[in-house]
Amino acid sequence: MLRKYFPAISASARREERIFYLFILPWLFGLVVFSIGPVFGMLGLSFTDWRISLDNLQFVGLENYTKLFADPIFWTSVGNTLYIVVGRVVFGTSFALLLAILLNQKVPGIPFFRAVYYLPTVTAGVAVALVWIWIFNPRLGILNYSLKQIGIQGPNWIFSKTWVKPSLILMSLFSVGPNMIILLAGLQGVPKELYESAEIDGAGHWAKFKNVTLPMLSPVLFFVIIISVVSSFQNFTEIRVMTEGGPGESSNVLIWYLWENAFIFLQLGVAAAVAWIMFVILMALTGIQFRVGRRWVYYEGEA
Amino acid sequence: MAPRKRKQDVSWRKSIKGRHAIGIIITFALLIPLGIAFILPFIVMVSTALKPLNQVFAFPPRLIPETVQWENFADGWYGYGYVNFTTCTWNSLKITVNNIIGNLVSCTLAAYAFARLKARGKNFFFAIVLATMLLPNEALVVPQYILFNKLGWLDTHLPLMVPPWFGWAFFIFLLRQFFLTIPEELIDAAKIDGAGHARILLQIFIPLSKPALATLAIFAFIGNWNNFFGPLLYLRTPDVQTLPVCLVQYQGAYGNTEWHLMMAVATIAVIPVLLVFIFGQRYFVEGIATSGVKG
Amino acid sequence: MSTEKLSRRAFLKLAAASGSGVALAGLGPLSSIASAQDQVELTFGRHWEAAFRPRQAEYDEGFMERHPDIKINITYNTWADHNNVVPAWAAAGTLPDIIYVHGSRATPWAHEGIIIDIHDIVTADEEFNVDGMWEESVRLYRVDGRIHALPYDHGPIILGYNKDMFDAAGMDYPSEDWTMEDMAAAAVELTDPDAGVWGWDGRLDLGNGGGGFFTGAWGGVHMNEDETEMTMDTPEVRAALNHWYKLIHEDKVGASFTEAESFPNSQPFRAGVAAMGHIATWSTPSMRALANFEWDVAPTPMGADGSRYTGAFGSGYGITPTSDKPDTAWTYLREYLSLDGMIFMWSLSGRGSPARPEGLEVWLNSDPAPPNGHYFLEAMFDYAVTGPPFQSLAAAQVSNVLSTQAELLRLGESSVDEAIAAITEQGQAALDAVADDM
Repeated sequence: MLRKYFPAISASARREERIFYLFILPWLFGLVVFSIGPVFGMLGLSFTDWRISLDNLQFVGLENYTKLFADPIFWTSVGNTLYIVVGRVVFGTSFALLLAILLNQKVPGIPFFRAVYYLPTVTAGVAVALVWIWIFNPRLGILNYSLKQIGIQGPNWIFSKTWVKPSLILMSLFSVGPNMIILLAGLQGVPKELYESAEIDGAGHWAKFKNVTLPMLSPVLFFVIIISVVSSFQNFTEIRVMTEGGPGESSNVLIWYLWENAFIFLQLGVAAAVAWIMFVILMALTGIQFRVGRRWVYYEGEA
Repeated sequence: MAPRKRKQDVSWRKSIKGRHAIGIIITFALLIPLGIAFILPFIVMVSTALKPLNQVFAFPPRLIPETVQWENFADGWYGYGYVNFTTCTWNSLKITVNNIIGNLVSCTLAAYAFARLKARGKNFFFAIVLATMLLPNEALVVPQYILFNKLGWLDTHLPLMVPPWFGWAFFIFLLRQFFLTIPEELIDAAKIDGAGHARILLQIFIPLSKPALATLAIFAFIGNWNNFFGPLLYLRTPDVQTLPVCLVQYQGAYGNTEWHLMMAVATIAVIPVLLVFIFGQRYFVEGIATSGVKG
Repeated sequence: MSTEKLSRRAFLKLAAASGSGVALAGLGPLSSIASAQDQVELTFGRHWEAAFRPRQAEYDEGFMERHPDIKINITYNTWADHNNVVPAWAAAGTLPDIIYVHGSRATPWAHEGIIIDIHDIVTADEEFNVDGMWEESVRLYRVDGRIHALPYDHGPIILGYNKDMFDAAGMDYPSEDWTMEDMAAAAVELTDPDAGVWGWDGRLDLGNGGGGFFTGAWGGVHMNEDETEMTMDTPEVRAALNHWYKLIHEDKVGASFTEAESFPNSQPFRAGVAAMGHIATWSTPSMRALANFEWDVAPTPMGADGSRYTGAFGSGYGITPTSDKPDTAWTYLREYLSLDGMIFMWSLSGRGSPARPEGLEVWLNSDPAPPNGHYFLEAMFDYAVTGPPFQSLAAAQVSNVLSTQAELLRLGESSVDEAIAAITEQGQAALDAVADDM
């Protein structure tokens, strides 16, 4: 049985294995000390009636989970989450890639533009609420003002049941900075020789992009997509600051639902259950991506 | 280094003459209008920092303040004597620098192992790296707080400064992806020269991964500099508090928020990040092609 | 605003003389003078924005002078953060000795053992005049008939108005005999879409305190006395909500939700573009800081039958079970929440809403108080009732349902019938879910 996972290996392979474990030792140590306890604690607590105090906890079995599955708002928030995740990943990744390509061009002023496109990521935090009023407020915002100039009556954005989710996706485009930088670093890493030899073969822009850029960038792009899915699931700054799940429940996403249960309703056991459901959904999605990724991600280092 | 840089600087002039002129026009046609939208949050912040409080929400809104109140910066920084931004900034700086170094060291080691070393159990542990990214932090807040209390670390910088030395899944995964793009032949050549893994990592991977490492450093800088919830929870005494937590002290219930002072200090707080970004940029643009190693 | 008032600086001087120095000495030192070695550290978890902390520090310095054996150590967080941090503190057993308790948190926190039963300590202290506090304010913290925390601040919701806008329209200010219909008629008159000004600020608040203002005049009540049943599916509540719904969506005299969101703390009234809005005393310091116009207050308008009703709410302080020195904590609170303590902290400073009538009287002369601030006092005496929900473990869930539906009504995304149906169904479900735990 163990043989299957730990087949006999040569002495040099064993040496390499020792180095592997030596190198991951700090991470492994941190995992055991800082993460294992809290993570399994959360798992255990999701089967209790934990509200705040850890004294006199009652084991309630799957009650927190069945309660969730019976709550229509939970299902609404699952739907909202998937809507926003798909939107953020598709548009966010494409937009980040577009910006990375633009910022990788040899045109004057590029360092300035790179800083500009990264600015919203830096100025987030406290400024965020004020900033969004300036941009998205249907009455005062620059967005609707601009639309008015070209004769379009802008929607109510985050104050409309219909538009709140697209608004949140649009807002997320302002924080593509990190993904843009990762992709830019990836683009910078593509050896110039590959482009040169492609040019010799007479390849045009598109052919170069498709045959050189994309394959060489694919490990990084793969990372960006995985991370985008995860962060779209977990990001709730805008939700907390701007919509608090509203109007109605139309922007109530799982992370807000979790937060609300934990820190507003003081239902920490229920919140723990939500966390585990989110974890399982993300596990499944990430697993699928790794499976699919094998088909399109090209690793230079892997023979 | 120097001649290559000059070459880079003039290359756009050459290409303007060529058939890329249209490409440059398209690039600018996209970069400029989008750039205006992206610079707006910063301008709103600075503009608010310069206004008197009763004009912050004046209607109709004005981007350029009617009266410029420069003293907001000094007033904000010195607060009411009960929020010490000098101490907060120093604490933030100390934690941030420590955490960048900690993350760089621990994540580089683990990422190299996951990218390039063969070992039984590797896939299992890599799956765990990924899995730790998938649990929502908000759910772990309370158990982690209990843990740090048990360790006796509360109200010290330890809960913020120790874990970064033990890796972070996001960065390990990020670096692993970059390390996977480095050509295998380079390693083989080094091995033939008798280099061990430590040398391969130091002499090949790290120089070749400058953009990725710079990316990691920038992310770690911003993440730690702006970290709010950790310090909020773990620190209590004003003397150990960090900048983001100090910043919200201008926020009051029932609309008693002093937006102008908060934005003034927020503007000051952004400056180090901007400087790091602007000066760190050259590392993003120094890819394999310019670092002197041929693939 | 008004010439009869002293400047803030003058009040600070007065405060230094009366508040910390003389008046508090009357309480008599409970503890004997001790050397620095056996100083007891008293820890606090509270919220004040930076601007108000010098006042707190001044108070604490005075306190420590009177009690050299006690050292005060405060952890400040913002209001919202405090409410997030306390549960974590409680779970790990790291609560400070005394914590700030918002009225809506008292029942759940008492139930979870975050604050202890201080009923006996309070009632046994003959010098501490708990009966001198508004009964409506103490009620918030009485869980199963026993006091678990004490209020420092409690305020009724009454009508605020922009004098400049009434003057410009040549209209009389809201009077004592106004009904809700009079208010609506004035709002119609004062609205001028071209000038971007509204008669009413459009905020429909069904939660703690606000609920009484917006439905009480029609005889509408949100919940039964025990807070076990939602009672909003009634003709009275329906009539009340229809009234406000019509003002927003048909008469268009209230700032729409999206418009309101453009203003500080979502208050067009404070921004000077709405002639009227509901207001509590705790909002007056920010009115003073932000309002570029003359303003005043009037009683909450009456119902058609001449009855008057409004909501009130507030905050307090409690002692935690983690504290190994509840007596020392009480030494602090009994002075801090005494009349003199309140006068120093909230009346003379103009911060507002002291939970004692005599304290509110003194506040009337502070700088931020409006000329007719006495209407707050009258509301507390005559017609304000602490607004539900606050006695149920599901209070937070019910509040959430109420604010969600109020928002949908303002947005026009729900009709009055839909909102009432949703509140009744979801609110009742939340109440039923905790029925067994209570």
